[in-house]
Amino acid sequence: MVNETYIPSTLEEALKLRAEVHAMPLAGGSDLMVQYRRGTGVVPEFPFPVMIMSSLNELKGIKKEEDGSVLIGALTTSAEIASCEDVPFFVRKAASLMGAISLRNSATIGGNLGNASPKGDLPQPLILLDATVVLQSINSTREILVDEFIKGSKKTALADDEIITAIRIPNVKYTYGYYRKIGTRKANAISKLSLSALIYVEDGIIKDFRVSSGAAGPKVARNKANEAKLIGKKLEDIPALKEDILNTHDQTISPRAMATWRRNSTRRMLDYFLSEVAKGGDEGIIQ
Amino acid sequence: MSVTHIDDKIKRVDAVEKARGEAIYLADLKFDSMLYSRLIRSTIARGRIDRIKVPSLPDGYYFISAKDIPENGKNALKMIADDWRCFADGDVKYVGETIGILVGSDRGVLDKLYKEFEITYTEETPVVTIDDAIKNEAAPLCKENNIMCSLVSDKGEDINEVLSKAAEVIEETIETGFQEHVHLETNGAIATIEDGRYVIYASAQCPFYIRKSICGLLGLNPEDIVVKQTVTGGAFGGKEHFPDVLAGPLLLAESIIKKPIQLSFDREEDMLYSVKRHPSKIMFRTGVDRDGNILGSDIKVYYNCGAYLSSSYVVLQRGVFHANGVYNFPSTRIEGYGMATNTFPSCAFRGFGAPQTIFAIETHLDHIARKFGYDPAIYKKKYFLKKGDETVTEGHIIEDVKLPEMMEQITSASDYYRKSAEYGYGSGRGIGISFYNHGGAFTGNGEQAIIKGRLKLVKDGDKFTVLCGQTEMGQGFRTALRKIVASTLEVGMDEVVFDAPNTDLVPDSGPTAASRSTMIVGNLGYRAALLMKEKMNEEHAEVEVQYEHPEGHPWDQSTFKGDAYLGYGWGAACVEVEVDKLTNEVTVKGVWTSHDIGKPIDELIVHGQVNGGVMQSLGYAAMEKMENTTGHFKQSSMSDYVIPTSMDFPKQEYFFVDNPYPWGPFGAKGMGELVFNGTDAAYVDAVERALGITCTKIPIPVEDIEGLRR
Repeated sequence: MVNETYIPSTLEEALKLRAEVHAMPLAGGSDLMVQYRRGTGVVPEFPFPVMIMSSLNELKGIKKEEDGSVLIGALTTSAEIASCEDVPFFVRKAASLMGAISLRNSATIGGNLGNASPKGDLPQPLILLDATVVLQSINSTREILVDEFIKGSKKTALADDEIITAIRIPNVKYTYGYYRKIGTRKANAISKLSLSALIYVEDGIIKDFRVSSGAAGPKVARNKANEAKLIGKKLEDIPALKEDILNTHDQTISPRAMATWRRNSTRRMLDYFLSEVAKGGDEGIIQ
Repeated sequence: MSVTHIDDKIKRVDAVEKARGEAIYLADLKFDSMLYSRLIRSTIARGRIDRIKVPSLPDGYYFISAKDIPENGKNALKMIADDWRCFADGDVKYVGETIGILVGSDRGVLDKLYKEFEITYTEETPVVTIDDAIKNEAAPLCKENNIMCSLVSDKGEDINEVLSKAAEVIEETIETGFQEHVHLETNGAIATIEDGRYVIYASAQCPFYIRKSICGLLGLNPEDIVVKQTVTGGAFGGKEHFPDVLAGPLLLAESIIKKPIQLSFDREEDMLYSVKRHPSKIMFRTGVDRDGNILGSDIKVYYNCGAYLSSSYVVLQRGVFHANGVYNFPSTRIEGYGMATNTFPSCAFRGFGAPQTIFAIETHLDHIARKFGYDPAIYKKKYFLKKGDETVTEGHIIEDVKLPEMMEQITSASDYYRKSAEYGYGSGRGIGISFYNHGGAFTGNGEQAIIKGRLKLVKDGDKFTVLCGQTEMGQGFRTALRKIVASTLEVGMDEVVFDAPNTDLVPDSGPTAASRSTMIVGNLGYRAALLMKEKMNEEHAEVEVQYEHPEGHPWDQSTFKGDAYLGYGWGAACVEVEVDKLTNEVTVKGVWTSHDIGKPIDELIVHGQVNGGVMQSLGYAAMEKMENTTGHFKQSSMSDYVIPTSMDFPKQEYFFVDNPYPWGPFGAKGMGELVFNGTDAAYVDAVERALGITCTKIPIPVEDIEGLRR
């Protein structure tokens, strides 16, 4: 049977529906309702059973854990994430720039990951921070990196009996941070390109360096081997290493449309971030 | 009841019901046993239809196509010519061409049936772009060279001789893209029968156009059909002729089914299968002396008209007549070519052909000024048209031209000269400037020869009812006309009634288009009110007035010679930007405009028009990209075809100059299109200066700016 719609009232019920009829979770609906629209005056028709998740309060909300990590329920909206001080800057910023206000009030973090659009706003900073996604089925729970969960454009590792229940963001220290989203316009915009980067310095030594690119290929691009080139180095080493890092990051991204602009802008943004950090100025977010 | 004065600021009469969501739009209308419909459209750009496999239709469902047109009917929509077929028959000429209309009671069932249609074609190589049409490598689709319409305008000496004597001839090609209207309300219409007569309800600008256009399908006369305008949520020219394309199939279906039938586009249909602004390619050969002074310009104007003529010839004429911008060059020759292509027919869009050529001349002059080391503002000022100057149609500028005063307003307010000098070329900051105009109302004596607009004013006790065909489409004309009539009669606006037109009840005052409503029909209202003032003692009185062309301003429509426009609106704009060199993102820091619209009829309405026109023009230059290289539009939604939000161009300061127009109500001239015509060029000028680039094609979103750097 297709085209059945369920409204589970508990997670347990939802997991059962997921296992038995593989009902597709519909969270904010801002992707599914658009993808399966049928025109004026007709409700969308789904080629699969759907369950409307909005009653599941246990999947809503943001919690700071004792180890400093942040646990975000899958049904938490972008608006809630954008206004929560406990959420790391990169994710908060990305959530605040997602679509329009009305969309941010309905779209959820679980939906944004499940949809796995290359232009999705949240995967990019989540992957930067090595965030994990909690996947629950009726019999088991597993937690994997967002980077492993999203396998490609619109492809995820979600099994047909699993539901995304939460996203965990580890406490990642940084001395310098950078986030840019270039949208189609200044508000209510879909991402054309995004970039996050951070560097953590302790006792003059770079302990952590990360960079991730969104909307620059079928999935978020991060290259840990490239990032490792700066680990253990000093800020004054950056200029000498920069060109190689920029080149390698350029090879890491794989834009198809607007390739020249996406490549050049990515290089210029990362170059700018590294050059600013190399100056060793005030800690914080580089504008 | 207090008397309304022309200088009062009036809250628009339709504002509250629209803001509250109480206005009843086409898609809100419900009739007993109303059916719904979908258009079945061509999915290829060019070819023969081999077979239409209609799915098996349940009872009460219909598929109606060209073969259902009665013998005395003609498969044509009569716009200006009657070349646009109501239904494709045998062959198709563009993606989205109507093949038939599917009608039934349940929209879900219609959607299912729609997807089950199988149409097979023998495809032919389409002509899609202006370059395709000029190259003429595929079989031509119009005459032997794809030229659908053309004209020439010139003044001064023979242009080739002028260019041969020039120290240098500067050649440049400027191009502009498609633009989609994105009226908030999509297109829609309903056909029904009331009191034994066909009635069309439509979201439309020109109810009288609709009945004229579609009556021939059934061998009827225009008077046999009633058209009632419904609340229209934006149009911008997109509902000038295009409602005919919905009303035609609906009328034929109605003649067979005889139940109310609604057709309402969703946003994707409205994006993919509706008319657009004509893309253009404008080629200059401009002769200059050693100091960069212009001796003459040879201009070739190409517009992409799509598969049918629609309004394209008139659009092209306006493009040609505005191709020298606000300037008086000693010699000019302008050739205009409307190219036939296998794209959705291009049609009216705010500016009606003028924005393309004005953008081109402004940008071309910026480049010449820069090449010779002049500030564009100072360079352009030398050539400003003045009263009495000869135009490119061998007519004359009839009015005082206040451009120097307007230029002073915007350059002072924006601190243009300091910024122009201080911001280095390529510094990341830039300020740009542009000048523009727009001839009000129909070209030449069209108002008298073709339109012959009429308006009636009826007095019943204390109520005055204005009867004319002008439509409110968001621009504020319902408020403006009531205000003009009330303040002339010296009564309150609440005593003046002016409703959406019903073609049975109102005289034809001409289309709501061409920036003519306030200037021409507003003046009819003013004249009618003056006559009515003589009858204020009568309980019931009626007066009717008709347009009269001012004497002494000849126009020959066969040679395009004479006074093309009696009153121009004039404009000047400064735009300041900062460009992020990392990403090419442009931030607009300020927009300053000055407009000469004769006299603003209402400050609030006029502010809304300026604000909206400027935003739409900036969107046209900055981000509104609609691509079509295969015959299929690539952008199909409001997320991939991007129009600006209030965050994109937030700060606007606007000025007006007082320059009353002798034949307009209270001195008013047209303004609806003027305000679109020029800010685009100021924006591009500013971005060019900020990045040190040269741009010859709009729009310029970030990825296109990249191609211009280094």
